[in-house]
Amino acid sequence: MTNRTVADRVFSAVMYAIAVLFTLGCFLPFWGMLVASVTEKRTLIREGYRLWPSQFSLEAFQWVLRGQQVITGYAVTLFVTIFGTLLSLALMSCLAYAMSVKKFKLRNVLAFYIYFTMIFSGGIIPWYITMRGFGLYDNVWALIVPMLMSPWWILVMRNFFNALPSEVLESARIDGASDVQILTRIVLPLSTPVLATVGLFVAVAYWNDWWHGVMLLDFADFRPLQVIILRIINNIRAIREAMAVPGSTITIDMSQVPALSIRMAIVVVTIGPIILVYPFVQRYFIKGLTLGAIKG
Amino acid sequence: MAVNVELVRPVQRKASRVSEFLRNLWENRLLVALAFPGVLLIFIVNYVPMLGIGIAFQDFRAETGFLSPWIGFKNFELLFGSPVVWRLVRNTLFLNSLFIITETIAAVGMALVLNEIGRRFFRRLFQSVMFLPFFMSWVVVSMLIFGWFDYEVGLVNVAIRNAGLERIDFFNNPDIWPGLLAFLRVWKTTGSGCILYLAVLVSIDPQLYEAAAMDGAGRLSRMRYISLPMLVPVIILLVLLSIGRIFYGDYGMIYAIIGSSAALWPTTDVIDTYIIRALQSTANFGLSTAVGLSQSVLGFILVFGSNWVAKKWSQRRGEDYSLF
Repeated sequence: MTNRTVADRVFSAVMYAIAVLFTLGCFLPFWGMLVASVTEKRTLIREGYRLWPSQFSLEAFQWVLRGQQVITGYAVTLFVTIFGTLLSLALMSCLAYAMSVKKFKLRNVLAFYIYFTMIFSGGIIPWYITMRGFGLYDNVWALIVPMLMSPWWILVMRNFFNALPSEVLESARIDGASDVQILTRIVLPLSTPVLATVGLFVAVAYWNDWWHGVMLLDFADFRPLQVIILRIINNIRAIREAMAVPGSTITIDMSQVPALSIRMAIVVVTIGPIILVYPFVQRYFIKGLTLGAIKG
Repeated sequence: MAVNVELVRPVQRKASRVSEFLRNLWENRLLVALAFPGVLLIFIVNYVPMLGIGIAFQDFRAETGFLSPWIGFKNFELLFGSPVVWRLVRNTLFLNSLFIITETIAAVGMALVLNEIGRRFFRRLFQSVMFLPFFMSWVVVSMLIFGWFDYEVGLVNVAIRNAGLERIDFFNNPDIWPGLLAFLRVWKTTGSGCILYLAVLVSIDPQLYEAAAMDGAGRLSRMRYISLPMLVPVIILLVLLSIGRIFYGDYGMIYAIIGSSAALWPTTDVIDTYIIRALQSTANFGLSTAVGLSQSVLGFILVFGSNWVAKKWSQRRGEDYSLF
């Protein structure tokens, strides 16, 4: 890259400019949200979004963390994420291991059984009726069970297990180790990269899930965090629509709409844990996104 | 005798194959036990609902469930006779095509741009920050959108008002939303979407670039004639695979962002959001299941078709990027 021409310098500058602009575009919404959440609420309404809080206040966070609803939501989301991810990893690695054992004649049948769910589904309504029929309704299991098995990650795990050195597994088998022993003592310890990757994606899916909360919780006295946020959004939407009707005399219960700073604080609290662990897990995410693209 | 042997042998062979299979299962009963919980869960969550497809041909009642009276193709006749369906199909296809085009261009473009960032530190920094939106659920994005686009206090409208211009009532203007949704998709997916392309670019032999530079090619033409052609196979395959899912609307996004804003439905209501609303308003289950079934069947054909094309196409190049 010696003797750079003027054209190359301009080109390089343009590349940097594009990258910087897009990076800022991704970063500023986060920053704005964080600043809004620590700005005193009347200042925020008067001045709008700023890059730095002119009137610092943690009031919004105090309000959010005092509310029983958010605390419960946090507990539910945490439990669902941790328990769901661990259970999901356990069940998926058992199934993936069984599919990776060459002498097991059911393995191809199982592979097709899993592929098929990726290309055909019964649709939302039969799914809903089935979930209710199995009692996955208005309880915490409704948030966990439907997401336990994801075909894509089972196949990724199977491909990883397939690629493990077969001599090691064979010699263990000759020494009389059972399949359970091989799985827990040899395969899983050798598979931390794939377990970490899949575990992270599953955990983020659980953490960000609101769909099952909306569909399968009606009268339960708890809601996951994401559903609490969705409810606030729907309340705002309803009020805006009522206001849009010309000459409407509908009285609006403004207590249902938290102030902007409080809304931002709830969002910060919700995405906080993920953003905090992100620097540590980033390389696994990149691995996970390229891993799935390679067919085994 | 000879005739008898001929007749008996295939039967015997078949019987022995079945018994061999069963013996194999028995020998590996531990593996069967390991696989069983997962298989059972998949059966409950994915296969039992497939039995419920029958609802599409029934006059569904909550009391009788899957055993409601059969009415043949009445639901489908009703379905294809209603103008709503064509709106749903048009919106789903249009929005998904728009998303595929804009996201692919953005991801490929960003991969090419990042590939030209010489300093490792900056490349890592840009990549890390671009990844951030990937972690946000659409619900969170939706919450932020109110901050940006609200008529009274939204960032965009405050700026417009300060500039002395007419504010835009985003939430009552359906024509803006396809573009806006595509913009949000690009914002959210480019950081993660460009990673695969970047992985391909990193694996290109640097000698190619050096040789081109020797021949007097500038960096722009090296990007145009070396980097971009290298990405073409991956681009085509990923696009083919997303075409396979073109009948499935991104309900996660549209439900969270548009939701009950009926004013925006003319351009944003997709097949999936329609079904979800039908479910919530306990409207005609049979009809909505018919919608879902048509979607599944069309999707099935398209997934197979696009996978077939992807397979044929990649095998000609001595590779196999297809799904199955």
